[in-house]
Amino acid sequence: MARKQRTSRLVWLRRGVQGVFLLLFLYLFLETEYHPINLAGAHVKLFFQLDPLAMLTAWLASHAVAAGMLLSLATLAVTLVFGRWFCGWICPFGTLNNLCTSLRGARAKAKLETGGYGGWQKAKYYVLVVFLGGALFGVNAAGWLDPFSFFFRSMTTAVYPVLNDAVSSLFGWLYDANPGIGPVRVTAVSEPIYEILRRHFLAVEQPHYVGNVLIGFLFGAVIALNFVRPRFWCRYICPLGALLGIIGKNPVVRLNKSAEACNNCRLCLADCQGGANTPDAGQWKPAECFYCFNCRSDCPTEAISVGFGTQPDSHEKTAVVK
Amino acid sequence: MIGPIFRWIKGFVKPPQSARLDLSRRQLLASGAAGIGAAYLFHTHPLGRQRSYNPDLVRPPGALAEEEFLSKCTRCGECMKVCPTNGIHPAAFEAGLEGLWTPVLKMTIGYCEYECTLCTQVCPTGAIRALTVAEKQRVKIGLAYFDRNRCLPYAYARTCIVCEEHCPTPKKAIWFEEAQVTTPAGEKVTVKQPRVDPELCIGCGICVNKCVIKGQPAVLVSSVGESRNPANGLLLNSGGPYGG
Repeated sequence: MARKQRTSRLVWLRRGVQGVFLLLFLYLFLETEYHPINLAGAHVKLFFQLDPLAMLTAWLASHAVAAGMLLSLATLAVTLVFGRWFCGWICPFGTLNNLCTSLRGARAKAKLETGGYGGWQKAKYYVLVVFLGGALFGVNAAGWLDPFSFFFRSMTTAVYPVLNDAVSSLFGWLYDANPGIGPVRVTAVSEPIYEILRRHFLAVEQPHYVGNVLIGFLFGAVIALNFVRPRFWCRYICPLGALLGIIGKNPVVRLNKSAEACNNCRLCLADCQGGANTPDAGQWKPAECFYCFNCRSDCPTEAISVGFGTQPDSHEKTAVVK
Repeated sequence: MIGPIFRWIKGFVKPPQSARLDLSRRQLLASGAAGIGAAYLFHTHPLGRQRSYNPDLVRPPGALAEEEFLSKCTRCGECMKVCPTNGIHPAAFEAGLEGLWTPVLKMTIGYCEYECTLCTQVCPTGAIRALTVAEKQRVKIGLAYFDRNRCLPYAYARTCIVCEEHCPTPKKAIWFEEAQVTTPAGEKVTVKQPRVDPELCIGCGICVNKCVIKGQPAVLVSSVGESRNPANGLLLNSGGPYGG
């Protein structure tokens, strides 16, 4: 087995950026509420305005687009030139799936078996085509599986009400029971914490939504699927990922896998998030790559590097180390 | 400079084997056909092209006409999150399967607050268009109606004016007619029986929410007369109630 590599700085940078965008998403979620007088929080639609799938399907179905949605053209432009970075660095639902994948604690052998590219990853492209076909004929149902819609809707109707209820009842119980030793009581600590939570995180009144059980169940299922395959949603389902994959399949940022330096240890498959690596050295699927750079970080022989360039010509035979 | 750009463009036209998506043409056609087929199934549903209207489908104020609304709504839940009364919910089948998880008002849980336009502010796709408070207060999202078998002054000869007290329109959309009724004890009493003025009612549903009869309130709101769908009117060939 190769020596344990230190996680590269590029990977830490990526994790930082992901964290910022996930926190921004959650912050905007909490801001999506009443502010005096009659104001919703500022910029709460930001992520939806960056979403080219929502823009495209709405445009196909209604032949009109809300002005703010044109921001998503920036996402398309960046993806066209640089590839699917959006999935790996920005998408908050991707980051959540990324986190849950990390939590599964799979063993190295299982990681090697499930990390590489698989044919079922094409499923998301067909999902996209179903929605585009429908949108072309006036039915815009992409919101069912649009990642921001899926995440925000689940948060609103299922996750947040559950968390709000659980936290409120926990602190309510602490307040009522108020356990402690002698004069030292739990409420001395719990009440100030509760006050902070109440002011910044909890709902004014416990929310209840019709249909929360089904939506919550589907959300839980998507999260659980990360135990079956890394970032299952992103690899197999996400129609936005599929759209960005098609647009970004010919990026100018390239992962160069040197066939000479490769010792065929296949560690690059272990932590690959998108399933972009194939066991063949020198080969790489740009449409599936999230640019997480885990492979580069994991590679014991430093055979993988990042560089600018164009796709190698199709007639060139890619060297394969066996 | 031209060389790399040319090679980049060539990468789209003729990508190397390893970078191809390898999608099967047959499956792509099948997927597209499935989407189109589903679209036509949805269209031919009675609710699809406004062949009929679901009285329980009360949309937030600012919602576009149903067909246009469905073509834009991305079911994100922003309006549901921001609604201060918890009145907006993800639809089950109120708008057909096509409308699954689109916003629908449930007046027994919340209602449409008269001074509020938050849902119209947060909609990212414009399925709910932005309204000023003054505009919103003129938009009819539905119309209230009474269930005289449940309403206290009608059914039980008891006094109750809760709905009228909560009615937010400047001139109350709920008005009373005094009626002499008989109590179960045989006593003749005069009670105020509530009526709805369809010109004034905007369907906000606060009467439903505050009605003392819980579960199935004695006053309900249906989508009839909603501003966004002129054909879903009270009178034939009208642009809303009474010609609008």
